[in-house]
Amino acid sequence: MNKSLHHICSRLFIITFCLMISKAFADDIKIKINSGQIEPLPVAIADFTGKEGKSNQIGRQISEVISNNLVGSGQFKAIESAAFIAPPTSPSVRPNFLDWSPLGIKALVTGSVKNINNDEIEVEFRLWDVVAETDLIGLRLTVASKAWRRVAHIISDEIFERLSGDSGYFDTRIVYVSESGPQNKRLKRLAIMDQDGENHQYLTDGSFLVLTPRFSPTSQEITYLAYFKNEPRVYIFNLETGQQELLGSFPGMTFAPRFSPAGDKIIMSLAQKGITDIYTMNLNNQEVKRLTNSSAIDTSPSYSPDGKQIIFNSDRGGSQQIYIMDSNGKNIKRISFGNGRYATPVWAPKGELIAFTKMHKNKFYIGVMAPDGSGERLLAQGYLVEGPTWAPNGRVLMYFKQDKPIDDGKSTNVNLYKIDITGFRETRIITPSDGSDPAWSPLLPN
Amino acid sequence: MVSSTFISIGLHVSIIIIAYFGMPSLKIREPIEQPIDIVEDTPISSQTSLKLGSVKEKKEINDKKVEVKEKKIKKSVPPPPPVPSREIIDKKNNELKKQKDLKEIAEIIKKKPKLNINKKKDVPKVVAKPKRIKNQITPKAIVKPEKIKNKQKENLAKGLLNTLAEAKIKNDEVKKEKSKKEDILKTIKKLAGNSNRRVKETSLSYSQTDIDRIRSHVSKFFNMSYAALEVNKMIPLKIITDLDGTVKSVNIIEKSKYLKDKFYRATADAARRAVLDSSPLPLPKGKEKLFRNIVFDFDTSRINSY
Repeated sequence: MNKSLHHICSRLFIITFCLMISKAFADDIKIKINSGQIEPLPVAIADFTGKEGKSNQIGRQISEVISNNLVGSGQFKAIESAAFIAPPTSPSVRPNFLDWSPLGIKALVTGSVKNINNDEIEVEFRLWDVVAETDLIGLRLTVASKAWRRVAHIISDEIFERLSGDSGYFDTRIVYVSESGPQNKRLKRLAIMDQDGENHQYLTDGSFLVLTPRFSPTSQEITYLAYFKNEPRVYIFNLETGQQELLGSFPGMTFAPRFSPAGDKIIMSLAQKGITDIYTMNLNNQEVKRLTNSSAIDTSPSYSPDGKQIIFNSDRGGSQQIYIMDSNGKNIKRISFGNGRYATPVWAPKGELIAFTKMHKNKFYIGVMAPDGSGERLLAQGYLVEGPTWAPNGRVLMYFKQDKPIDDGKSTNVNLYKIDITGFRETRIITPSDGSDPAWSPLLPN
Repeated sequence: MVSSTFISIGLHVSIIIIAYFGMPSLKIREPIEQPIDIVEDTPISSQTSLKLGSVKEKKEINDKKVEVKEKKIKKSVPPPPPVPSREIIDKKNNELKKQKDLKEIAEIIKKKPKLNINKKKDVPKVVAKPKRIKNQITPKAIVKPEKIKNKQKENLAKGLLNTLAEAKIKNDEVKKEKSKKEDILKTIKKLAGNSNRRVKETSLSYSQTDIDRIRSHVSKFFNMSYAALEVNKMIPLKIITDLDGTVKSVNIIEKSKYLKDKFYRATADAARRAVLDSSPLPLPKGKEKLFRNIVFDFDTSRINSY
C-alpha cells in the first residue's frame, strides 16, 4: 500500500515538475540563428611570465610560437602585444577583462615558465574567454628546457581544439625530399622538420636518390623509395631509433608505398612487363596481392580512413582520371569527370574529401573533391604544383610548388607550401634548400 | 384478477394522458412536407442571341420587346417609398433646427437695437449766425453709428448662426458617437466577461519583423570556426534581458552535450560570445517585457563555409 502510494506520489511529482518546466519554456521566445561568419577569431597571447631572465626569454619565445601557429592556421588573428593595455599576468591570476575587451579580443592566453632545475622547466598556461569572462582551459607541463618549442606546439593544439572544436595539428612533423644542386646533378636527401619548418634534420646523406616518403599512420615510421644502383628499393625508417630496414627491391616501382590505416599493410603500384597495376603487401608475412589487372597504368593508390576503399589514378578511360574501388580490388568506378587530367589522389584523415593534382591547359592545380567526385574545388595553382598531403585534422594541405625554369631550364626553385581547405591562406614553409614530396605526420605521441 | 386489469388499464390511461398533455410535441401537428418544385430561373427565349436575319426584323423584335417591357412596367405595382433611416431623420431634424434657429435669430436682429442717444430738443434751429454766449457750453454732437442695412444684418447673422449651429451639430454628433462606442464596449464586456486582460495581451504580441531584427543583429556577431559545421545539433541558449535590451545572463541549456562533445562545446562558446557581444539587443519599443526570456537556437547545419 505504502509502496503504491509512494509510486503515485513520485509520478505526480514528476508530472508536475515536467509541466512546470514546459510552462517555463513556453513563456520564452524562440529565435533561430542559422547564419554567421567564419572569420579569424581575435586572440591575445600575452608573453609567458618568468621570474628569471632565462625563463622570461623562454616564455616570450613560447608565446611567439603559439601566436605563429594560431595565425598560420588561418582561424585566428593575433592582436599585437604593443596594443595591450594590461601587463602579462600569471595564469593563476584572473585578468581584468575590461583591459582586453576594448581591443576586440575574444580569447586571452596567459602563462608562466618556472625553472625547476637546469634542464627542466615547468610551463603553465590558461585560456580565458574575454567576452564571457571565464577560463576555458588550463594546463601545466614539465619538460626538458630544450623541448620548449614542442611545449609551445602542444599548448597551441590545446587552444586550437578548445576554441575551434577541431583537433590541432601543430605538434606534428613533416618529412620531405630536400633538393640541392643543378638540375642535371640534383642532390636529393630525406629531411625532417616540425610543421612550422623548425628543428630541421637530414635523415639521409644524399649518396643515392630518394623519392616519395610516407608516414605510417600508427607509429613514427617512414617508408621511402631509394634507387640503389638503379634498382628501386623500399626502406622503412624508424624515427625513434633512427634505424632503417630494407623492405625489398621492387623493379618497376616509381612511387613509394603507402600504409593501410591499420598499419599492417602497404599498398603500391608496380610495373611488370609494361603494365602498371596496384598491389598490396602484408607486412607481417610479406605476402603480395594484385588488386588491379588492366592494360592501363594504375598508380598512386591511397586507402580510405576506414580501410574499406582505395582511390587511385588510371588512364584506362583514355586519359588520366581518379578511380575508386573496394579494398579487395572490386567495384572499380571513375569519380573525376572534369576537364584535364587528375593524379596523386589522397584521402583526407576524416574521409570526407580527396585531395588531388590536376593538369589542365599547361597548368597544375591542387584541389579537393568529395569521394563521389562531387564538389570539386581548386585551391592552389602554379607552373607545377604536386604531391598534396593532409594535416592530421584534415583542415590543411601541404604540397610542393616548382617555379618556371630559368637559364634554359638549368635552374628552378621548388618549395613547400601549405594551404587551408578554404583556399584562402597559402603559406610557404621555409626550408634550408629546395623541398619536394612532403608527407605530414600524425600527432606526435606524448 | 379483475382489480389488477382495472389497475393496469388505469395506469395505461394515466400514462397516455400524461404523455398527451405533458409532452407538448405530441399536441402539435407536424407540418406535412411538400414536395420541392424545382423551378428554372433562367428565361429561355425562342430566338438566339446570335446575329441572324435582317436589321428590320431585329427592329421589329426590339419594338415588340419594348412593348412587352412597357406592358410589364404597367403591370408592376409601384414600390413603396423607402423608409427613411435614422440618419436621414436626424439630418432633417438638424436642418430644421438650423432653419428655426436662423429664423429666430433673424427676427431678433430685425428688431432695431435701441440706442440710448439723448437728443436735446431745446437746441434752437440755426437760422442766423448765433451769437456766442459766454460761459454757455455748446452741446457736443454725438456721432451716430452708421445704420446697417437690413440685408447686410441678415447675412452677417446668418453667417454667425451657421457657424454656431454647425459647431452645435458637430458636438452632438461626437457625443452620440462616444455614447455609441461606450454602448458597444459595454455589450462586448458583457459578452466576453473579464475581457480586459486578453485585450492587453493581444495588443502586446510580437511580430515576425521584431524576431527578424533580433536574429539579424545576433547573427552579425556569431563568429564560428569550420568545426561548427560538424555540429549537427541545435545549440539552445537561454538568455534573460533587461528592459533596455541588455543581456543579463546567458545559459547553455544542454550541459551534457557541452561537456561531452568538443565541437558542440566550441560552437556553444562562440554562440555565447555572439549573444554577449550583441548586447543590448534591439528589442521592439513597448514590447520589451515580452522579450525578457529568449531562447536562441543556434543551427550551424545549413551554413556553407566554402
